[in-house]
Amino acid sequence: MSNADLKYVENTVQRLGRKPEALIPILQALQEHHGYLPRESLARLGELTDIRPSAISGVSTFYDMFRLKPAGKHIFRICIGTACHVAGAERVEEALRRQLGIPPGADTDPSQQFTIEHIACLGCCTLAPVVKMGDTTVGYASAEKCSEQVRDYLARQTTAAGAKSTEELDHAPANGAAQIRVGLGSCCMAKGSDLLFHALREDAGQCDGHVNIKRVGCMGMCHRTPMVEVALPGQETAYYSGLTEAQAGALMERYFHPRGWLRRAGHLWTRLLDGLLLEEAAPEQQVGRFSMSKRDPDVRAFLENQVHIATEHFGKLDPLDLDEYLAHDGFAALRQCLAAPPEELIAVIEKSGLRGRGGAGFPSGQKWRAVRQQPGEVKYVICNGDEGDPGAFMDRMILESFPYRVIEGLALAALAVGAGEGIFYVRHEYPLAVRRVRAAIAELEKRGWLGGRLMGAGAPLRLSVVEGAGAFVCGEETALIASVEGRRGMPRLRPPFPAESGLWGKPTLINNVETLALVPWIFRHGAEKFAAYGTAKSKGTKVFALAGRIRRGGLIEVPMGTTLREIVENIGGGAAEGRRIKAVQIGGPSGGCVPASLMDTPVDYESLREAGAIMGSGGMVVLDDSACMVDIARYFLQFTQNQSCGKCTFCRIGTRRMLDILDKLCAGKAQRAHLEELERLARQVGAGSLCGLGKTAPNPVLSTLRYFRDEYEAHLQGRCPAGRCAALVKYQVTADCTGCTLCAQHCPVHAIPLTPYVKHEINLELCTRCDTCRKVCPRHAIEVS
Amino acid sequence: MNAFTITIDQRTVEVAPGRTVLQAARQIGLEIPTLCHLEKCGPLNSCQVCLVKIAANGHSRLAPACATQVAPGMVIESETEEVHEARRTALELIFSDHLGDCLSPCHRLCPLQLNIPVMIRQIQSGRLDEAITTVRQSLPLPGVLGRLCHHPCEQGCRRGVFDEPAAIREMERFLMDHDLARDFSQSKATLPLHAAGKWSVVVVGAGPTGLAAAHDLARGGHAVTVIDRHAKPGGRLRDVPEADLPPAVLEAEVALLAKMGIQFKTGVELGNQVTLEGLRLGFDAILLAVGELGEGDGAKLNLPLAGAALKADPSTCLLSPPNIFAAGACVKPVKQVVRAMSEGRAAAECIHRYLRGQPPRRPEKPFSSIMGRLEPGELRDFLRTASQEHSAAPCARCSGINRDEAGREAARCLHCDCRSSGNCLLQHYAQVYNADANRFRSERRPFQQELQPGGVIFEPGKCIDCGICVRLAEMAAEPLGLTFIGRGFDVRVAAPFGHPIEDGMKSVAAECVRHCPTGALVMAGDNTRTLERPTVKAG
Repeated sequence: MSNADLKYVENTVQRLGRKPEALIPILQALQEHHGYLPRESLARLGELTDIRPSAISGVSTFYDMFRLKPAGKHIFRICIGTACHVAGAERVEEALRRQLGIPPGADTDPSQQFTIEHIACLGCCTLAPVVKMGDTTVGYASAEKCSEQVRDYLARQTTAAGAKSTEELDHAPANGAAQIRVGLGSCCMAKGSDLLFHALREDAGQCDGHVNIKRVGCMGMCHRTPMVEVALPGQETAYYSGLTEAQAGALMERYFHPRGWLRRAGHLWTRLLDGLLLEEAAPEQQVGRFSMSKRDPDVRAFLENQVHIATEHFGKLDPLDLDEYLAHDGFAALRQCLAAPPEELIAVIEKSGLRGRGGAGFPSGQKWRAVRQQPGEVKYVICNGDEGDPGAFMDRMILESFPYRVIEGLALAALAVGAGEGIFYVRHEYPLAVRRVRAAIAELEKRGWLGGRLMGAGAPLRLSVVEGAGAFVCGEETALIASVEGRRGMPRLRPPFPAESGLWGKPTLINNVETLALVPWIFRHGAEKFAAYGTAKSKGTKVFALAGRIRRGGLIEVPMGTTLREIVENIGGGAAEGRRIKAVQIGGPSGGCVPASLMDTPVDYESLREAGAIMGSGGMVVLDDSACMVDIARYFLQFTQNQSCGKCTFCRIGTRRMLDILDKLCAGKAQRAHLEELERLARQVGAGSLCGLGKTAPNPVLSTLRYFRDEYEAHLQGRCPAGRCAALVKYQVTADCTGCTLCAQHCPVHAIPLTPYVKHEINLELCTRCDTCRKVCPRHAIEVS
Repeated sequence: MNAFTITIDQRTVEVAPGRTVLQAARQIGLEIPTLCHLEKCGPLNSCQVCLVKIAANGHSRLAPACATQVAPGMVIESETEEVHEARRTALELIFSDHLGDCLSPCHRLCPLQLNIPVMIRQIQSGRLDEAITTVRQSLPLPGVLGRLCHHPCEQGCRRGVFDEPAAIREMERFLMDHDLARDFSQSKATLPLHAAGKWSVVVVGAGPTGLAAAHDLARGGHAVTVIDRHAKPGGRLRDVPEADLPPAVLEAEVALLAKMGIQFKTGVELGNQVTLEGLRLGFDAILLAVGELGEGDGAKLNLPLAGAALKADPSTCLLSPPNIFAAGACVKPVKQVVRAMSEGRAAAECIHRYLRGQPPRRPEKPFSSIMGRLEPGELRDFLRTASQEHSAAPCARCSGINRDEAGREAARCLHCDCRSSGNCLLQHYAQVYNADANRFRSERRPFQQELQPGGVIFEPGKCIDCGICVRLAEMAAEPLGLTFIGRGFDVRVAAPFGHPIEDGMKSVAAECVRHCPTGALVMAGDNTRTLERPTVKAG
């Protein structure tokens, strides 16, 4: 081991401290530096700090992000979120492994070039399946395209670094002139909106008139990313979807005029050439194809049923432009509450009927009051941004798009409960959210509104950001606290609740991102106005991440009580051509599948629970008839048993035994007794587990057993009705085959002999059911049975 | 806050605030099972075996008793089928990931349940008297068995995977030859365990079944009389060639039985000198162990028949209720001597229970978690401490092995039994809650054994991740300490950075071993540990 590495440990300790709570940040720094955690560095860390070797070892093996052995030069992180699973993430992984030469069971190829990792959910569910290649998020990955996508990625590595960061921009004043707004949330950026943004900026410099190329947060319509909105004074706003950087010039050309005749000619000439090269069509027309207006039925249906409170001014604000936030009533609520008695603040929240948006729906006012009533000077508020449910990305989007709003909500909560310190706990899988919250806090500190007295006038409030390290269970309050304190994220029995004994044993309020994002609006508009939305027991609005097998996915906010049908069919546009919606998975691994027959269920806490699902944090994955419900149950059990902290018997072993049975079912090896045991065990795991993760882990199984028992029965007989369980399906060539050899050429395992003009045959021994042949066959002559 | 009352299984308990449900239950003498609980560690909440049902505010839920604090008006259920089922499931789940044999294969395969590994360790360390006691506690007529037993124990011996199984029967024979060569007064194990009670039993037939039954009944404290139509006791053992079983050995064993207080009346034939009616008047229970019936024998006795054999209930040994029992070859053919004896033992248990007013039934097989077949690679961990020599035992028919050979043979034993068997909380509660160790049987983890020079044996497969040792090491501020490694199902207890486990508990090794609820941590050597069980005071 070279000295330089150990020097790095020393520097890091100097920078981050030697106390136990510095452990996770230090390990994150070491991981970033080396790509893994060398044992020598860990040993040195033990010598340099007050942290015990046992703690270092325990923590570094608990969290997903830490590696204990070197990774390859290029890391491919395969998202295994729900939407990606449904869209075939497993097939993508299989193809990637073949492509990169990574043998089964290993995660790195023998030449140490490529490493494959799983990532719980990147929150880019509308682009499923998603693979993060290095720092680039690649959407719509597929087994057929993966070799091309890998080549593109590697080519980019050798030429130049990706787009410039957009985080260090100075904010151009929003002076009412023409604006081109570019969505710069993670989903949009995954489809290249950052490249487009920079291209537009470059071109803007050459244009007549004043045009402001503006970075904005999520625009909601994630299925159409990257999103661009053109707003001209006195004209109707136009949206563009799916533009690439190459079309930036054409867009500018359509609305603005490059300065000077000669330059204009030159410009047109190059752009025309580019356009011809790319699409063989004039760039003007090309751009036109991507435009939509607000009257577009697609856009209208998507937007018209929504009410934006947590996502107020979505797609309009530069996430980090404080002045703009202020101009849109930002911090008005905080300013007006600064001198109010805390009791009044709590009363407002109680009256609004606000319930926690993180999952369980506990009344927020009651939670605030419990912390307020605790004796003691030191109290904490924590914003829970550990949005771990696969298939949920509301919190990521809110933090990326409205960091000031969430900060304002947290500050109001701190004011109400009497806390002097607040913490944002955000998943490391959301780097953009982490960066933006940090930048927003820094900006507020610069103005003297944070760090010292709140808004320069109130009680002192300090805010900081703690990055998670990859553990779903840390969304559970007591596990989250353990993680902030630098320990393994193991939950403990409640009571005592964090309100009595939380961070460092002090009273602690933990609220979810979305809950806090609603708070400023409630204070500005009054509790009554908030409570006017929603149902008797579930007030206000709820943000959902709508994804899966649906026409229009994205981020939506609707009043509580909206029915699933309204969401799926009106906003989401229903199933794809020729498909039938089977169920909506709500609440992720703790939730359940609501069948199509119950689509009129209103989304409120009680109704969803009755239907066997839960509100959860708001992930909504629509499943169509191509989904196997047994496979879905198995998918979630795989997730929970992998994410279980491993503390209590029922969760640690019980979920694994349930998974064993589901594996048997999917392999066609289960008998009736297994099915009975599965149901019995599911109930016992739910009743006997220590924390919420284990208690709710059986829900996906119980709800699919409740509504889709026929599919389980079919698996007992060795049939998978959806044709999804690889062990139970066969690929066959029908009489429509013309012997075109496309399937044979594409088959990655050479299971189809190359026989031109002769009907092809599939060798079922070799076939891995990767589905490639069916996708490439021009005659639809491949049949799955 | 002052003391208040709660209800546990319909009993009102006055408790102080801040107490746990577990403490409250112990206050009234109610034993709630725990594996991960150790008062000084605080709640660890890993095993979830202490679940109780708690009703409050119209809701009821299962919660761990060890960490749930009492609250006024709490209504708690502990001894209900629902709660027991939850506890049983927790135990069964733990077993599904618990790799270990409670009993070594040889012990488990012995029809008379001789604790062979303990006997071998006693031989190995030269404590022959203790070894003889161990044998005599399990075997009736061990001298006979040392020569005639077909030794199913050796078929299961894990040593046999490498070379030859340990010569268990030869070692046992050596012990008995040693014992019988001494003055009887030195042999202590033959004395009845209980003072003679008020019941008398007559055993008809002095063959292996009858003698074994008589032995067990006498040890149970009953007045036993054995009658046999032959001139000398022994039944079919008398037919064995002298070379295989010298008459002196049989005689010496019978003499020991007589010394235990068993009365032998020979030359007495049922239906001739005595009648069943007569025996019924004279004894509280009758056991017929007359051996294989000859033609017409059955009809003569006027007893229920099944074909040519007596028709006794297989689960109770009852032939004619309420008090005539039958066992051995007169009920069904029994070839091996040891099996005949185990039939006698079963009958003795049935009679013993009947006499004490309990429904008769055969003794239950002792509970044992079973590893099954190990790969040779996995067995190497065991082999490290065993002698590498081949078996020194001569062929079965020569004159037996001497003390030195017995010691060398004992050194070949792999000691694959669990040193905590009998002192294991998991095993204990599995029996209490009638847990099925195989309910969730699935792919097992690999067998590993860490043997430390300091004397701690760590078997990760037996670890149930209770966290007691992790916490004890932490409380003792161990420089390295112990930790959980990994997450979820694969979580394992270990010392950091690949150090052996003992490095992480230098000052607390003995304490960790003492409080390990299973046999994951034990001291090498003998089974000397006594598990600290919670003391429950009747209130």
